Amino acid sequence: MLGLAADRLRADMNRLLSFLFHQGILDEQFLQLQQLQDETSPNFVSEVVNIYFHESEKLLRNLRSLLMDREFSDYNKMGIHLNQFMGSSSSIGAKRIRNVCLAFRAASDQNNRAGCLSALEVLEHEYCFLKNKLHELFQ
Amino acid sequence: RKRQLLTEIVLRNRLTALVVDADTTCRVLEQLLLRSYGVQTQGVDNGRDAVTLIASGVKFNLIIIDMILPILNGLEATRQIRDMGVHCKMLGVTACSGESERQAFLAAGVDVFIEKPLDPEHLVPILRELDG
Repeated sequence: MLGLAADRLRADMNRLLSFLFHQGILDEQFLQLQQLQDETSPNFVSEVVNIYFHESEKLLRNLRSLLMDREFSDYNKMGIHLNQFMGSSSSIGAKRIRNVCLAFRAASDQNNRAGCLSALEVLEHEYCFLKNKLHELFQ
Repeated sequence: RKRQLLTEIVLRNRLTALVVDADTTCRVLEQLLLRSYGVQTQGVDNGRDAVTLIASGVKFNLIIIDMILPILNGLEATRQIRDMGVHCKMLGVTACSGESERQAFLAAGVDVFIEKPLDPEHLVPILRELDG
């Protein structure tokens, strides 16, 4: 009975992972994280992903705070936050988030505040989606 | 697959590496990847601490340094490390690579320039070379 439940759980996890890969939400870099996990660090992937969530939420707050400032003009600072978000996202295989960051950065490079606001909303949405899916995976 | 990664390279020498990255996720992952190959690592999150650590006399076989760093950026930190006469292998990493970033980082003194994420495909040949 327990074996069947475990099999079903594994099948559900694999289905969810396949979905995330197929939709381009994750890429093969996520597999590399899993490869670094072993019996000496059995929760490694969830721990790293939690670090990513913690750092990402700080970055998103910083980005929103910058853009909500009526006198905002420091696109360089925004670029630094975006660069960091892109780096961490690509390091855990969060492909779609990375791509949204690229588009965001393009708007930032053009000092396009409206474009940045738009991109931030997409980024926040994509981040929430990924976070929910990864929580589901780790449950 | 991890067993395959690990047996892909067996280091004969004890290598050491410094990871300089402001982002915790990246720094943790890069250090762990290096450790999975038996490399001893230290990590700092800004360019000034990297320069200070090297200036204190600590030696590394490899320095992995991000371009965008707080306090002292990766380009300037690289220049200062090279100006100290440090000749170890330096691997410059960045989240978004363009030709201008690549040229700037190489001109600053890194030996290799890689777009994140750091992966075994890039890292293993460097470790083999360092291991002699």
